[in-house]
Amino acid sequence: MINGWELVIGIEIHAQVKSKSKLFSSSSTEFGSGPNSQVSLVDAAMPGMLPVINKFCVEQAVRSGIGLNAKINNKSIFDRKNYFYQDLPQGYQISQFKDPIVGNGFIEIESEGQSKKIGIERLHLEQDAGKSLHDQDPNLTFVDLNRSGIALMEIVSMPDMKSPDEAVEYVKKVRSILRYLDTCDGNMEQGSLRADVNVSVNKPGNDLGTRCEIKNLNSFKYIHSAIIYEAKRQIRLIESGENIIQETRLYNIDSGETRSMRSKEDAHDYRYFPDPDLLPLILEDDWIKKIRSSIPELPDQKKERFIREYSLSEYDSSVIVSDKSTSDYYEKVVKDRNPKLVTTWVTSELFSVLNKKNLSIDESPISPNHLGELIDNIDNGKISSRQAKEIFEEMCETGESANNIINEKGLSQISDEGELEKLVDNVISSNPENVEKYKNGKDKLFGFFVGEAMKLSKGKANPKVLNELLKSKLNT
Amino acid sequence: MFKPYILENMEFDKDSLYKLGKLSKIQIDESKLKSLSSDLGSIIEFINRLKSIDTENVDPTSNSLDQSLVMRDDIASDVNSANEILENAPQKELDFFSVPKVIE
Repeated sequence: MINGWELVIGIEIHAQVKSKSKLFSSSSTEFGSGPNSQVSLVDAAMPGMLPVINKFCVEQAVRSGIGLNAKINNKSIFDRKNYFYQDLPQGYQISQFKDPIVGNGFIEIESEGQSKKIGIERLHLEQDAGKSLHDQDPNLTFVDLNRSGIALMEIVSMPDMKSPDEAVEYVKKVRSILRYLDTCDGNMEQGSLRADVNVSVNKPGNDLGTRCEIKNLNSFKYIHSAIIYEAKRQIRLIESGENIIQETRLYNIDSGETRSMRSKEDAHDYRYFPDPDLLPLILEDDWIKKIRSSIPELPDQKKERFIREYSLSEYDSSVIVSDKSTSDYYEKVVKDRNPKLVTTWVTSELFSVLNKKNLSIDESPISPNHLGELIDNIDNGKISSRQAKEIFEEMCETGESANNIINEKGLSQISDEGELEKLVDNVISSNPENVEKYKNGKDKLFGFFVGEAMKLSKGKANPKVLNELLKSKLNT
Repeated sequence: MFKPYILENMEFDKDSLYKLGKLSKIQIDESKLKSLSSDLGSIIEFINRLKSIDTENVDPTSNSLDQSLVMRDDIASDVNSANEILENAPQKELDFFSVPKVIE
């Protein structure tokens, strides 16, 4: 709600299918190759070329549909969506209109501490367009067709979201599910996953307002701020007595504003019709069943299992499972180890280093094995947690294993009672006055003795053993 | 939800004709207006005649062949070099197609 206005948000996600070749041609989908180096005659729409569908892309769409709890349609149709643009050589995009490959589904998101269902209207397969570069020449637009024809899944939500936070949670959840399924790499910076957001506002109890669509948002931050800007713009217009025009708008990441995209004025007249080059896509039940049986554990299930198996809190569990790589990392470390220690080290120490260095968990300077080794040393009392932090920092810098650093620096903790007893005796005999005061009731001095003994041990004394020894010696 | 474009009850007046021309990137000459209107009008009339057939229990036909799509395996192959694909481009810069500036 903004100033007594309700927001209604629906989202179309375009997710690039993870496949080696394009939807209707054999050219490679690899990112970052030289311009126009991955363009077949089909992608360039040379006359007489015919599209042949990629079976794996179909499988990926079905797998995604299952992950979104959606109905898989046995029969779907490819249509032509007609429009003119320089990065669309065919003059139409092959898409699915009336009969998509995947129908109704839903996912669950967290909103204000509660679980909320967001409906999925459909998922369909379509071709991506090429890429236009407008800033290379003052008078020309450059076109690269490498992306032309790559398979996209368009995932259309119901208008079930009521706030920018819910919208972001929704996109995060869909992205997470697709990454678990390995059907889309979810890389938003490279444009593998982008969102078109429909926003309208209305007074509670009134009919829905006219919506505007903000195109091509490729970060959670932009989705959030574009929705706020757009909702406020609509409210301002309505409150000053003007009407909202249904239109497509672009979000400017520098100014944080949205503006009308005039080039799309006629775009709503796409003149869809079934593509005569493509027969109906028929999927056998057995094939769908086979795919269904290969679906891996998804984030919601994994979250429950982590809570059950490792006694994680709701919060820790959802943080760890939200990203597949993070949950894989965590499971490698936690195997046969103390979950509480592992959770703390992963969610606080490791995450803070990754944040600071702006790295993903796949780029972590510390491997799961190395972190596990460090935790073993803490758990068996060989090093103190203070020492562990030092070693951890060094591991980040050098990539060395914990054991190597401990051996090299002679860092291991002194837990041997005989050795510690000598230290304790030493401290007691050199501070007779304080011993006297302590025995007369000045309990606070205990910390002083611990400090002195630690100093003598050069910080290596096992604090637990040391405390016990001191207590028994001072209290007799 | 699905509305095939031409099957709408579309009067081929001047405005509709210009709009269709614009969408199809075809320039419509003022002198051709009359003949085009009547040609398109008779096509629509023909389609409308088909609409009188009762198709209540018939599934929509998207393709007249009684076959389904054949799929290929996901194998990427080297297709063309940038040089080859740009060979027929009316205008190119570096390894890009180039067109008059499009302003978004």
